[in-house]
Amino acid sequence: MQDTYGHAQGRVAAGPGVPALMVEGLEKSYGSTVALAGVSLRVEPGTILGLLGPNGAGKTSLVSIVAGLRGADAGRVEVCGIDVLRTPQAARRLIGIAPQETGVYLSLSVRDNLRFFAGLTGLSRTQIALRIDEVADALGLTALLDRRASQLSGGERRRLHTAIALLHRPALVLLDEPTTGADVVTRAQILDLVRGLADEGSAVVYSTHYLHEIETLEADVAFIDRGRIVARGSASELVREHGASALELKFVGAVPAAARVDGSVVDGTTVRIPAPDPAAAAAQLLPALGAEARSLSSIEILRPNLESVYLSVTGRRYTTRVDA
Amino acid sequence: MISPRRLGVILAHELRLARRDPLPVMVLLVFPIITMAFLKPAFRAALDQSGYPHANGAEQVVPGQAVVEAFFVVSLTTFAFFSEFGWMTWDRLRASPATSLEIVLGKSIPRVAMVLAQFVVVFAFGALVLDLHIAGSAVALIPLVLAFSVSLVLLGVAVTAICRTVQQANAFAYVGLVLFGAIGGALVPFNVLPRWARTVAPITPTYWAMRGFRSVILGGQGLGAMAAPIAALGAMSAVFVVISLRRLRFDEAKTGWA
Repeated sequence: MQDTYGHAQGRVAAGPGVPALMVEGLEKSYGSTVALAGVSLRVEPGTILGLLGPNGAGKTSLVSIVAGLRGADAGRVEVCGIDVLRTPQAARRLIGIAPQETGVYLSLSVRDNLRFFAGLTGLSRTQIALRIDEVADALGLTALLDRRASQLSGGERRRLHTAIALLHRPALVLLDEPTTGADVVTRAQILDLVRGLADEGSAVVYSTHYLHEIETLEADVAFIDRGRIVARGSASELVREHGASALELKFVGAVPAAARVDGSVVDGTTVRIPAPDPAAAAAQLLPALGAEARSLSSIEILRPNLESVYLSVTGRRYTTRVDA
Repeated sequence: MISPRRLGVILAHELRLARRDPLPVMVLLVFPIITMAFLKPAFRAALDQSGYPHANGAEQVVPGQAVVEAFFVVSLTTFAFFSEFGWMTWDRLRASPATSLEIVLGKSIPRVAMVLAQFVVVFAFGALVLDLHIAGSAVALIPLVLAFSVSLVLLGVAVTAICRTVQQANAFAYVGLVLFGAIGGALVPFNVLPRWARTVAPITPTYWAMRGFRSVILGGQGLGAMAAPIAALGAMSAVFVVISLRRLRFDEAKTGWA
């Protein structure tokens, strides 16, 4: 069945061997600020890519360019084989995006918001009604369909915002920080939804700075840092390759000499000591500190996880803020 | 390329938004009726002094107030765009399959319709209540009103293109309303304006609209007299289109009302 604009209804899939998203050598600067410095990645249909990085790392620039909202200085972006930079109009039909900022028409009902954006994608009236029911059900919006968006809670608005991206069953779903400011229920619903989308064959690019969400989704991971992809692979692969256990001690004042053991990294009043068995390392170190142990403010065992991967590949502890 | 279906979706959406917040349209329709009612006697005297002893004042106040109040549509047009930034829906709209032209047309056409509706209501009130007598061909006013409406909405699009914040756009629209209304001869009869104002008046759309209305309502003329005003309004519309094409960048970050 063909829709008004001539493309097949239902999910528009990439052909065999064609990735849902291919990015090559993407560069983007804003004045003297480099947002993307040669980003390349490939996302296959039916997979989730967790795009991870602190705020300001380049995630939103990448997502915006892929969605055709911004131009690029150099590089290539293809969605299901369609060149986004040259023919953004054609590519938009394949993409569903939920931008970082929640954007809905507050004076309209949930249903009217969904109906408008579904109408723009060329779905017929019957299909619009069907898809509104489906996405509303998936995101717990069914009871709210006739409520004005202005009367929704923040989490409900976030769900509506996400639902709009899914109406036309896009081949590529771009979710930019979808759980920012979301309550626990909304967060869980969005994560479930992302899994479901991948199961149904969509490729999902899930941009976030919450590492644990990607671990929960067991998604493929691309760490972006200062406009570059610094690590790429499945979460388990990356943890196996780059993750390392460590013992982290924070002191009130300078790190004592006894804590500056071989291989340790001192960052202000914090020392991080890589150790295969951090508990054993702590048992050994604490007596060696003697009276200086009284200046300890905290002690933490860092297990191998995506945070330690980030630490390993960038040399910096993962925070939600961009480093200067 | 324009998809009539997508354009229809945007038009229906704009009408839905207007229905949810009808006050601006009501102001556009009601405000000129109120002002006409109490300004009519003053304009009777003014027209008498201008060489129209039999005029009752409605001949100036009806088109004049309609033209002045129609200027509100410049503000309404800019708001149609800036509100998308305020609601954070602009990127969402741009990421949809709708083209830039469809978005601009979808926001402009309802505003042109609003001005047309305003003229119909104001002139109907003028004829039925204020005893407005049109000496020439009333049909000749239709293309004039259409050309004027289009020029105002395109001015609104151009103002949107130039301004980065909704405050700038509002200031521009308000100054335009007062200045163009006064200089163009809509607020007061043209021939009582100072000489310098009469010299610069032809750069304003209000001047050409009022010239057309005077030709028909007071001068008793028909379609032939509309050629110059419509050509001038068309030329201004073309300038606004050029400004919009050069300055309207869809990926520009504008500030709504935040």
